[in-house]
Amino acid sequence: MSYLDLTIAEIHRALLEKKVTPLELTKEALERAKANKENAFETICEKEALEFAATLTEPEEDNLLWGIPYVAKDNFSTKGIETTASSNILNGYVPLFDATVIKKLREKKAILIAKTTLDELAMGGSGTTGHKGITYNPYDPEHKHQIGGSSCGSAVCVAAGIVPFALGSDTGDSVRKPASYGGLVGMKPTWGRISRYGLFPFAPSLDHVAYFTRSAEDSAIVLQALAGRDEYDSTSSFKPVEDYSSKLGESLKGKRIAVIQEILDSISNKELLDAFRKSVEAMKAAGACVDYVHFPLDLLKSIYATYIVISSAEATSNNANLDGIKFGPFRGGKTYQEVMFNARTQGFSELIKRRFVIGSFALMSENQQELFIRAQRNRAKIVEATNNILKEYDAILAPASPKTAPVLGSSSSDKLSNEYLIADNFMAIGNFAGLPSVTVPLTFIDGLPIGVNFTSKAFDEAGLFSIIQAYEDITGLKGISTNVRKEAKL
Amino acid sequence: MKQITKEVLHDAANRLLFDMSDEELDTLMEEFKILTQQMETIGHIEGLESYAPMTFPFDCMVDYLREDVAEEPLPREEALKNAGSKMDNQIKLPKVVI
Repeated sequence: MSYLDLTIAEIHRALLEKKVTPLELTKEALERAKANKENAFETICEKEALEFAATLTEPEEDNLLWGIPYVAKDNFSTKGIETTASSNILNGYVPLFDATVIKKLREKKAILIAKTTLDELAMGGSGTTGHKGITYNPYDPEHKHQIGGSSCGSAVCVAAGIVPFALGSDTGDSVRKPASYGGLVGMKPTWGRISRYGLFPFAPSLDHVAYFTRSAEDSAIVLQALAGRDEYDSTSSFKPVEDYSSKLGESLKGKRIAVIQEILDSISNKELLDAFRKSVEAMKAAGACVDYVHFPLDLLKSIYATYIVISSAEATSNNANLDGIKFGPFRGGKTYQEVMFNARTQGFSELIKRRFVIGSFALMSENQQELFIRAQRNRAKIVEATNNILKEYDAILAPASPKTAPVLGSSSSDKLSNEYLIADNFMAIGNFAGLPSVTVPLTFIDGLPIGVNFTSKAFDEAGLFSIIQAYEDITGLKGISTNVRKEAKL
Repeated sequence: MKQITKEVLHDAANRLLFDMSDEELDTLMEEFKILTQQMETIGHIEGLESYAPMTFPFDCMVDYLREDVAEEPLPREEALKNAGSKMDNQIKLPKVVI
């Protein structure tokens, strides 16, 4: 086993004891990246990573990210490194500044080794729509399964043991869903907790910086480095950053967990439901109070449409700057409108165009009340129902997906079925309400991992980490990757 | 609400400054069929009209300006680096007024 297969906390101890150096770690991470077959990379930053790693010679005891290699989704601005968001309209674009999270990790002396693939412009949940094609699930060497998206490449890198953590972004469930399909801890903190300066905007009222790790403890470590107010992001919170590891090790005794019955009712996979119920019983045995609660069915079924309308409307205006003039391939034309028309027609894939038309249509004055404003009112009602549950509970728990990673090319689920509308899309609640929400592995079904999702009160990340760490003890799946296989205890 | 036809959607695409093929518009029509059906159902959710449209998860009022810190301006070559059409240190586009 390599040091890369350990958790951040474990690698840190090895670095302090000088059993391994940042340069050795980086070289091995780069080797693994180059040998990877899942189409996870936009750019491998070999030269930059090796140069930086070579400068790190004196370990910093209190800096857990010192010398740790990581990757970032290719929608974070990285100065001097091509950043395309996996879209042809941004081919060749080299940012002139670093996103705040990239800057913070550099200050912590974590080593960026690569930029990773995503569904084009982070719109999509399959990991199949980026300009480099399909990104595959590393748990299936035959490449028949999705890893999910949109943060597909970042998920692969952590699941395949290339790096112990990876940056992603989450607007609907773009970190938490691939975390379920990749056996990972996928964390989306409270809206405003992490600065989004330098993250390409998709739908700013829903966008979050999020990330993957292989343990609850590591998730707390990474948030500690990323959280905090940023003068360059007016939506970042002024709330003081707390010690996110302070509650690790607490038992589940007295914790109040709500399971939404209607989400479970929409799921048909018996093995998943069985493992889920066993984990609930184990949580109860560990002292937690777990109640099955109700959520209005009409609201649950309305999440997907609400999400598509709001996110598409916001995306339409946010991406108006992609014109092929200031950056991106210049396609020529007789007028400046024709220049933009050619750049956008050739630069966007079909999926992106469809989303933009939906968004634009929803914003037209004659449609706004029945589409955009209605979706925004419904968002408020969904958020109210969610927060009402959290008034009495520490967290809401549900399977993070209704099944393991979908087979590539299979006919998509019935878009009007309850399983699709509810169990496949409910995690957008965390984006509507801006609540901290995290996926953590539950079990394996036919060799593929699947996770559960916990969502808690705004800014209660420390409490959430303590719950998922206790849950890791129940499942026995802390630290899993394709190199570190474990049997689920359930 | 405006009636959804292929022509309306094609016009919307063109106003967003891109084109879509006939086949792409067919897929979009199907998507709209499902979406408008669901949005109509949402319209029947009891009491929905009494909710104020939610634009952000939380209030995030910022009522001050950042410190006025002097910084070096972006060098011209940097600013032009990503542009595909340039001439005489400027971004070159077709003439607007001929």
